[in-house]
Amino acid sequence: MRRGVIAAIALAAILAAAAGATARSAAHAGTKADTITVWVGWSARELAGFKKVVAEYDSKHPDVNVKVVGGINDDKITAAIRSGNVPDVVSSFTSANVGSYCKSGAWVDLKPFLSKDHLDVNVFPKTSQYYTQYNGKRCALPFLADVYGFYYNKKMFQAAGIKSPPKTMSELTADAKKLTKRNQNGSLKVVGYNPFLGFYAGNVPDLSAYAPLFGAKYTDAGGHSALSKDPAWSRLLKWQKNLVDWYGYKNLQKFNAGAADEFSASHAFEIGKVAMMIDGEWRVAFIQAEHPGLAYGTAPAPVDDAKKNLYGAGYVNGTIIGIPKGVKHKDQAWALLKYLTFNAHPLAQFSNLIRNVPTTKQSLNSKEIKPDAHFKTFLTIFANPSSKTTPITAAGNAYGTLIQAFAVKWQAGHAGDLHAGLQKLDKQIDAQLKQAQAGGVP
Amino acid sequence: MSTASVPIAAGTLVRRKPPWAVRRRRFLVAVADHSLLIVVAIIFLTPFAFIVLTSLMTNEQALSSHLWPSPFRWHNYVDVFREAPIWRWAINTFLYSVLATLGVLCSSIPVAYALSRIRWRGRDLAFATVLIALMLPPVVSVVPLYVMWAKLHLVGNLGPLIIPNWFGDAFSIFLLRQFFLTIPEEYLDAARVDGCGELRILATVVLRLAKPAIAAVALFSFLYTFNDFFLPLLYLRENPSHWVLQIGLSEFRSLHQVQWNLTMAATLLVMAPVIILFFLAQKAFVEGVTLTGVKG
Amino acid sequence: MTETAVTAGAPFTAERRRARHRAAWRRRRLVLMLMSPWIVGFCVFFGYPLVMSVYLSFTHYDLLSSPKWIGWANYKYLFTEDPQVGPAVRNTLWLILIMVPLQVLFAFGVATMVARAKRGVGFFRTVFYLPALAPPVAATMAFVYLLNPATGPVNVILGHLGVNGPLWFQSPQWSKPSLTLLSIWGVGNLMIIFLAAILDAPQQLYESAELDGAGPIQRMRWVTLPTISPVILFSVVISVIAAMQYFTQAYVAANIASGQASQAGDQTVNNLGYPEGSTLFYPVLLYQHGFRFFNMGYASALSVLLLIVAFTVTVLIIRNSRRWVHYAGAVK
Repeated sequence: MRRGVIAAIALAAILAAAAGATARSAAHAGTKADTITVWVGWSARELAGFKKVVAEYDSKHPDVNVKVVGGINDDKITAAIRSGNVPDVVSSFTSANVGSYCKSGAWVDLKPFLSKDHLDVNVFPKTSQYYTQYNGKRCALPFLADVYGFYYNKKMFQAAGIKSPPKTMSELTADAKKLTKRNQNGSLKVVGYNPFLGFYAGNVPDLSAYAPLFGAKYTDAGGHSALSKDPAWSRLLKWQKNLVDWYGYKNLQKFNAGAADEFSASHAFEIGKVAMMIDGEWRVAFIQAEHPGLAYGTAPAPVDDAKKNLYGAGYVNGTIIGIPKGVKHKDQAWALLKYLTFNAHPLAQFSNLIRNVPTTKQSLNSKEIKPDAHFKTFLTIFANPSSKTTPITAAGNAYGTLIQAFAVKWQAGHAGDLHAGLQKLDKQIDAQLKQAQAGGVP
Repeated sequence: MSTASVPIAAGTLVRRKPPWAVRRRRFLVAVADHSLLIVVAIIFLTPFAFIVLTSLMTNEQALSSHLWPSPFRWHNYVDVFREAPIWRWAINTFLYSVLATLGVLCSSIPVAYALSRIRWRGRDLAFATVLIALMLPPVVSVVPLYVMWAKLHLVGNLGPLIIPNWFGDAFSIFLLRQFFLTIPEEYLDAARVDGCGELRILATVVLRLAKPAIAAVALFSFLYTFNDFFLPLLYLRENPSHWVLQIGLSEFRSLHQVQWNLTMAATLLVMAPVIILFFLAQKAFVEGVTLTGVKG
Repeated sequence: MTETAVTAGAPFTAERRRARHRAAWRRRRLVLMLMSPWIVGFCVFFGYPLVMSVYLSFTHYDLLSSPKWIGWANYKYLFTEDPQVGPAVRNTLWLILIMVPLQVLFAFGVATMVARAKRGVGFFRTVFYLPALAPPVAATMAFVYLLNPATGPVNVILGHLGVNGPLWFQSPQWSKPSLTLLSIWGVGNLMIIFLAAILDAPQQLYESAELDGAGPIQRMRWVTLPTISPVILFSVVISVIAAMQYFTQAYVAANIASGQASQAGDQTVNNLGYPEGSTLFYPVLLYQHGFRFFNMGYASALSVLLLIVAFTVTVLIIRNSRRWVHYAGAVK
């Protein structure tokens, strides 16, 4: 009797499953909607903006269903590609990693797709073309660029009697000292300019945001690391450390520990704890959303006194987007990729939403771009021929780790003689690159 | 120490509580005796206190140097569930812990029995392999195992975490073996005389006698897998729908721009199941830890 | 199995031999069945990784293409050129030489106090064991928050007392001590083991020592310590092995502490070892090379080195222990 009941239940379960399967396959056969997944680094408000852009594509293309996953970083990308569970389209904020992505084949070569559709990459600005390929192998396309410029608090400037934003590093230092306020016990209340490496994006510890402002070259003519040969690096590091020491290393540490997270609404500049800063163009959208009443101005970042002609330039990089190895729906992935990167409409629309710089000449001049005085500054910096990005190497962004390790030690005063330290750093970078090219370590 | 005793019926003594003054004096003496212990205990409890206090603050208060929340935002605990898929993480975690613990028990008990109560050639060599595996830092085998699981396309789900536990765990085998060794042979002989095969003996006699050791192994296994961060970090990171609580907690910060009050609330929630389990199974816990040290 | 006298002739002996063979064969099959999980487990999850680690350490392998044989290049880079290996080894040594002794000492100290307590032993035991139950991730995040140099309760209280608190997890000098504080907070496991061992010490030894006129310190030195020396050895070995695998707390602490003056939610910056590489321990370095840069070949070389060192250190400790560990009833 019991066995009979069990058999009946089993039969019912099998029938139900079969029915479900046939229903599903019928629906599948009818609409034939493939799901493709897109991985992006954006989160919260910016992610919502991206989803809006994609939703438009989704509605126009009933044969695909686009799923967006945000909050991705390069660790997750490399892990996914290695383990085989890849999305269909992937993007990254670390354009410097394109070297290792292209060289290892982690992101597929896009040349066949480009030639099939007769697309010319010259619609992208030269810098954006540079940081989406390695050694002629193009495995990524630019999808909105980032430009670093200068933000300053107008009210504080007025109160301190400063008429215009600083154009050179010495002016910056003087203004910073004027605008700084300390508490009774010596701790920092308002910081004029925070030069501490690691504090917010403008102070990327691998010095990449400062390098174009000093005209610092990463490699010499022979392709070797030139940090000890180009005097601009020493000037950069000395300037930075002098300012850190004026504030007091420990004072800045304490201030930073008490400062809010960079992408929270209590961002130190936005609430008036920092008077001036170097930051990316995306900050315009954040201020608009979080503190629309803030009286601030934007300008190109100050440059080295010895290279006044560089004024107007800034550090450029951007979001890179591509197709990872092992993708199932290659054609649909490419269709989405093509749409996002070459069409003026999605680029302009997304640019308006998150205030990043559009990456095709057409979209830069598009009528859809909502004009904004603050944002215009960054478009100008982007167009400046002296604006540079970091070198793309076979080791990806690994050399940044080495520079960072040294710069952070130098800032703390633990690095000894500057020139000797930079020479050692050059040797390490060269060794690292040699290994990466030869297929060794790292 | 004299207590007043009043005989009621022949031979019965009733202890009357000593007068309040005497009790108070005794209490103060006890406190003085244990003063150092009390101070250390308070220091040990302070982190918990601060976690609880911070979890009840508003975000601005948590970022400032205030120590006491005002007002008390009990709603934070609700907010935590809204901000992050805590339930999904909890389900994944329990799936991992329960299945792994079951696996450890099912695979380690037979092995420990074979290593302790049956005489066979090569037994000492086999036990030596257990000892060697015990001393091996798992970090060492991580790279090739990851390669293996990647080739099997199992990275991204709980498989690589659960499956190895079904093939024996050196620590559990060791502990169980040591305990089995203490079972007097007479029990087993009596069962053998009754005609029981070895397997029957294992299933009935040994399991019943070794309950404390088995409970300890189960508890440790559960605790270890619940707290595990390294393996989930390697295998689950790029698949948020499979995250366990520990991964989720460590990423909680970056998901929604540091809100320390919510993060501390989440921290407390993650700690809670284990602490509750401890209070329910206190005896087993303490016995288990003692077993590892004394028999180790 | 008792042997009965064999008085019958050859066929009876053969019959008996066959029976014994069958019994032995049955036993072998049983053992095989019982041991099978471990046999598979040992080969697949211990033996195979060991062999593969050694093989991979001579290759360049990034999981995208097949391994490329490069001979000793990984080891050459490891021993001569990698700027991170030296600090990683030094940091792990710091753990073994400073954190482990502090852990063992503290566990022993607290256990001694609890053993001597007359009232509320259960309560104290619970209080000291509870932090050990806290998941390492949760405990580390809590500590990083509590030890925030600007707004954390510890420095705030120290400030009220007039002391300028250190930068804790933000300072390269204080980051390892901060991690040590965290590990001491979680020393409950060791404490309970010590407590049980201390309470187990035979009373008559103490009594005879007292009769001989030994004070409390001498009793500790000559009775307590020798009696529990096997447990001390166990604790030391366990703690050293744990120190050589120290990963979770270092990873989480570096991540959270560096994020307090944070970069974007995506990590464009390598935060491992923050600050200034002071929390870069050997397993963290291994993780970085194996699972950030995906240089599985080099990571395997690091694993092989760790294995050799771990084995050597464990053997050394156990060898050395013969001098001071007394096993009850053993002939030494």
